This record gives sequence, C-alpha cells and structure tokens, in this order.
Amino acid sequence: MQGQATQIIHAYRQAPWRVQRQWIGAFLLAVIGVAMVAALYLDVTARAAVAGREIQETRKEITTIQRENADLETQLADLTSTAAMEQRAVASGYRPVQPGELDYVAVPGFVLPEPAILLAADDAVPNVQNQPAEYTQSLLEWFEDRVKLGGLR
Amino acid sequence: MRQQYAIRSMIIAAGLVLAGLAVIVQIIRIQTSEQAKVFLSQGDRYAGEFQMFYPERGQIYDRNGHLLAGNRTVYEVGVSLSEMESPDSLANILSKYLGLSYDEVHKKLTESPKSWEYVVIQDYVGVETVDALQKLVQDMNNADDSRLSGLAFKPHLQRSYPENALASNVLGFVTRDGRGYFGIEEKYNDLLAGNPVQVWVPRDPNKASEIPKVPNGTTLVLTINRDLQAKVESILDQALSDYGSPNGTILVMNPHNGEILAMAATPRMDLNNYGNYFSLYDNGSQYNRSIGMAYEPGSVLKILTMAAALDAGTVTPQTTFIDTGAIEVGGITIQNWNRDAWGQQDMVGCLQHSLNVCLAWVSSQMGTQSFYSYMERFGLGHSTGVDLSGEATGRLKVPGDGDWYPVDLGTNAFGQGVAVTPLQMLMAASSIANDGKMVTPHVLYSMLRDGHQYNVPSQVAGTPITAETAHTLNQMLSASLEQESSQALLPGYRLSGKTGTAQIPADYGYDATHTNVSFVGWGPTDDPQFMVYIWLEKPSTSIWASETAAPVFSKVAEQTVILLNIPPDAVRGQLVTK
Repeated sequence: MQGQATQIIHAYRQAPWRVQRQWIGAFLLAVIGVAMVAALYLDVTARAAVAGREIQETRKEITTIQRENADLETQLADLTSTAAMEQRAVASGYRPVQPGELDYVAVPGFVLPEPAILLAADDAVPNVQNQPAEYTQSLLEWFEDRVKLGGLR
Repeated sequence: MRQQYAIRSMIIAAGLVLAGLAVIVQIIRIQTSEQAKVFLSQGDRYAGEFQMFYPERGQIYDRNGHLLAGNRTVYEVGVSLSEMESPDSLANILSKYLGLSYDEVHKKLTESPKSWEYVVIQDYVGVETVDALQKLVQDMNNADDSRLSGLAFKPHLQRSYPENALASNVLGFVTRDGRGYFGIEEKYNDLLAGNPVQVWVPRDPNKASEIPKVPNGTTLVLTINRDLQAKVESILDQALSDYGSPNGTILVMNPHNGEILAMAATPRMDLNNYGNYFSLYDNGSQYNRSIGMAYEPGSVLKILTMAAALDAGTVTPQTTFIDTGAIEVGGITIQNWNRDAWGQQDMVGCLQHSLNVCLAWVSSQMGTQSFYSYMERFGLGHSTGVDLSGEATGRLKVPGDGDWYPVDLGTNAFGQGVAVTPLQMLMAASSIANDGKMVTPHVLYSMLRDGHQYNVPSQVAGTPITAETAHTLNQMLSASLEQESSQALLPGYRLSGKTGTAQIPADYGYDATHTNVSFVGWGPTDDPQFMVYIWLEKPSTSIWASETAAPVFSKVAEQTVILLNIPPDAVRGQLVTK
C-alpha cells in the first residue's frame, strides 16, 4: 500500500531539473520585464531631456529674435527720421511746398483718416492645451496611448 | 560531503547578504547624514538659477506711426575668470576697444575676489564695438590662439530715440536703471516698463518648464504730429535767433478735443545723450517750459477778461469806453502800454489796441466776485491735467489771500499779477475757439497692449462761457487782428488771436528793459481746427509782441494749414458747396 502511494507521488512530482528550469524561466521573465520597463523609461527620459534642451534653446532663440526685432524697428526709424528724410528729399531735388502752390480737390466721400496704428498680430500665448502630449503625459499614459494606437513605434 | 558543501554555501550566502545589507545601510546612512544635507544644498545651488525676465519697454509713436522712442541692443562685456588664460592680453585688447585704461582692466581681471566667477568690464557697449571684438576672438580661435578665452558678451536692450532731440521736452528720457524722467517717459513709466517676472530656471533639461509669458511694456501712440513738431521746433529756433530771445515755447493744439499736435520748447536735449541734462537745465521746471514754468502773460489774458465780461452781460462788442489814458483801481493808477489816451473805443477797439485802462474798467464793472469766479472757471491757478510730468499750477491771487490787493482786480484783467503756464492759457482760450467748451489738453492718443488698441477719449474740462459768447468774442478777435493789419495774419485764412507784451516782475517792481512776448490765436475763425500759443522770453530786437510773437504765429499757422490739409477759406467754401 505504501509502495503504491510512493509510486503515485513519483508519477506526479516534477523532476528536480524541471523545477529548477521553471525557477530560472520565471527569474529570466522577471529580468526581461524589468529590462523592458527600464528601456522604456530610459527612452522616454532621454526624449524628455532632448525636448527640455530644445525648450531651453527655443527660449534663447525667442529672446534673440525679439531683440533683433526691436533693433530692426529702431534702425528703420533711424533711416526714416525727419532729419534723414529731409536730407534725402533735398538731395533728390525737392523743396518745401508753399501755401500758394497747393491745389485742393474735392473727392466725394473722402474722409480724412483718423490716426491709427496697425497692430502687430497678437502674440500666441503658450498654455497647457497647445503643448504636445510628450510634455505632460506620464509613462503609463504614454504606454496606454501606444497600445491603443496598435503597438510601440 | 554534500551537507558540508551546503553549510559552506549557506555561510557564503549569509556573508553576501550581510555585505549587501551593509552596503544598503551605508547608502542610507550617507544619504541621511549631516554632510549629505550640505552636499545636497550645494548641488541645489547649481541646479538652476533665478532669472529676472524684464519685458521690452513699450515704444512711443507719433500719431502717424513714426517711432519716437524704441529700443536697441547693447552689450555687457565681461570675462569668465575660470576660463581666462591671459589677463595681460585681455586687458590689452579690452582697454583698446572699450576706451578704458590698461591698468583699470588688468586690476579687475587679476584682483577680483577669488569667489567671483565673472567680472563685468563695461556695460552698454555698442553693437559695432562688440562685432569687432567678436571677430577678433573668432580669428584668434581659428588660429588656435586662446589668449582671449573667457571673454563674454551679454546682450540686452537700451532705450533709443531715433529722432534724437525732436520732441525731447514731451518725451522725457530713460536712464540706465530703466526709470523714466520727465514727460511721457515719467508720466507713463509703469505702463511703458511693464512687469518683470522672476523665474527659477533649472539646468536639468528634464525639469525645463514653461516660462510665464512676460508681456512687453505698453506701447503708446501720441497725439503729436512728428512733421508739424519738426517744423514748429525749426520756427521756434529761427525766432529765437531772429529776435534775440534766450528761450521760448510754441504749442499747437486741436481746440475740439485737446490733442496736442506740437509742443516745442527750448532748450532741447539729444535724448540719446541724457547726460547733458545738467549742463542744459538748472532745474526740472525748465525741462518743458510749456507746462513747467508759469509767467505773467500780459495782454493775452485780456481775451479771458473780455470773455467773462461778455458772458456776464457786463459789456457787449458795441459798448463804448472813453479812454483817458488812466484809471484808478484800488487807489492805484493804471495806464496804457504807451501811456496815451485813446479816446472813445468800443470793445473791439479795446482789444485791437490792447488798452489796459479799458480792460481794468471792464473788470471793475464786473466786480471782484464775478471776475474771479470766471477766472477760476477758466482754470487759472489750477493744473490743466495734461498727461505730462512736471506741470506747474501757476498762481491766481483771489480776494481773501494775504497778498491780494484791490488793485489786482484791475491789473489781473490785463495779465499782470497773475502767473500762468502757456498750456493753461491755451486751455482757457480753447473755450473761445470751441463753442464755450474748454478741453483738457492731452498728449496720449492711444495705448497698445496685448494686441488691443485703447484710444484715450477727449475730456471737456468745463464750460466757462456760453457758445454765443464764444462766437461773439471769436469774431471780435478776428476783426481786431484784421483792423490792426497784424503781422499775425495769413493770406487766404481768417484767423483770431491776441498779442501779449508783459513786463517781467523783478525784486522791486518790474524789469524796465525786458518783456515776455506772447500770442494766442486759432483758425480758421469760422471753424477753428488748430490753436497756437507762443511765448518768447526777453526778445532783444523788440520788446513788442506785435513785432515778434505775431509774425511767428503767422509762420506756425502757415505750416499748420499745409501739414493738416486745411484749405484756404475760399477753397473750403467751395468744397462745402460741392
């Protein structure tokens, strides 16, 4: 009777080398899982770092362009200043008009325009809504998005 | 045997576990130690920096969009001491390019405190100099010569005035600390400067975050017409030269809405070299005499006396007055400017011949209460509210004041014993040119901020006289100019106005040799579109306004009608008919 029981146990117990292989397999699976997550994290972190660097560079570029813009406006004003324009007009053979030399013509419907300044386009105000998702989403959200999109790219 | 191996394995495993635990314990100990806190704080110090983001100062334009005040790039030239290799070479080059002494630069480079990473050699260096320096550095780098290593250029903006001295009295200036002084720059300093924002900027790109938008300072559009301003300044300079006057001022204003179209005063300063301020001005009130200096205006004030008397019903244009050449008011005898008796005159004649005796009689007929009530309503003794910094209020003595005497009722009527600024007089006179409504003068036309334009509405400061009185006096002043064959007249245009020759108060009595000459006028008489006020101080060629200020008015009116496209009366009549 006891011999029968031992035989049954031996029949259902895994061979020791099989148990070892299962443990090794499970360990390797865990290692691969951790490696995958680490790789993903590294990838996202690297991309965030690149994006961050781009932000810093873009910020510097914006400042430089704004400064150049101010410079150009002032240069243009220098070139069209009263003194400069008068000098050019005289050099081109013009002279100030005298009251008797003016002719006034009635133009039906003409109204002298009011002073008006052409406004520059309104500056876009950066906000969270128009930032790419890469700047705001977490790793899990990014992973979920990729899964929904049909795989990692 | 196998059991022995197992025991050894267990011992080795335990040893490894203990070693691992020891490592972990040590890691935790190091991370939480007192020294770690010091190291962490040191690391935090270099993890980023607080940066102040200064908005670009708002620009200033004239009414037609010409830039009057903008910004341009200048550089701070400095040296990174940790990267510096040759202080001698740097000192040599920088002293040559920046106009500094070799010793001064060398001392900065070699004797700065050791904790300093960076030293500023010179700020506000122009683009041309920096371009030349950068090219030199580039050439040396290409030749593997590192003697200029460490040289750094930090760009920033500085206020710039493309028109140099044009309208300098109106604009004011901005010093290197970014603060506006005088005029528009001071009055609207907060709007123009905007609000700087301080932000922590991490060096770790992973922590890079959005920097809050720093809106530029508000851009301002002025009512000033640049071309008219240039012409008026030119006329003023010529007038000072022609009539031997040390200083003067000319104002041009729209009588319907108070927009200042031109405001010229002397002396003017190149705003890009504001360091000249102290050599040009003794005190702040001289910066813009149009608003900062009050003076006894003399006979130009007679138009206010006449306006008050007409409005109160004391006189009509036809009221006659027998001028005997003298009148006693408050026990003091008042005489005419030439001490003559002019006989029978109507009120137009009184204005035409500028008779002190007649106007003193008019104010006496009105009585103190009525006369001073009108003068108060004309705004004398009060600031006009113009949007410029540094306005004086002038002085109108009234009954009850310790220094008011009964004779003042007579002398105030022809502009003596009362102090006004040119702008105050212009504002008061606007009621005559604008159907009885007195307008508040202003220089700001609109503000531009965040892509929106906000126009400044005109304001009526009061209605001291009725429209009927204004029309009547307007015609009287036009007639008096025409009958006088005044040098103020402009062919083709009917104009109204009045001269003013005023004695200058001295320590005792009045200066016997000098006068202040003034003129207030507007046109066209039937539809006034511009007003002009002129004040020339102490002219030496003639003491009379009719020979100095009046012809200047004519020249200003001539340029104004051209630049504002105002056709002659006859042409205007035809255009209206069509």
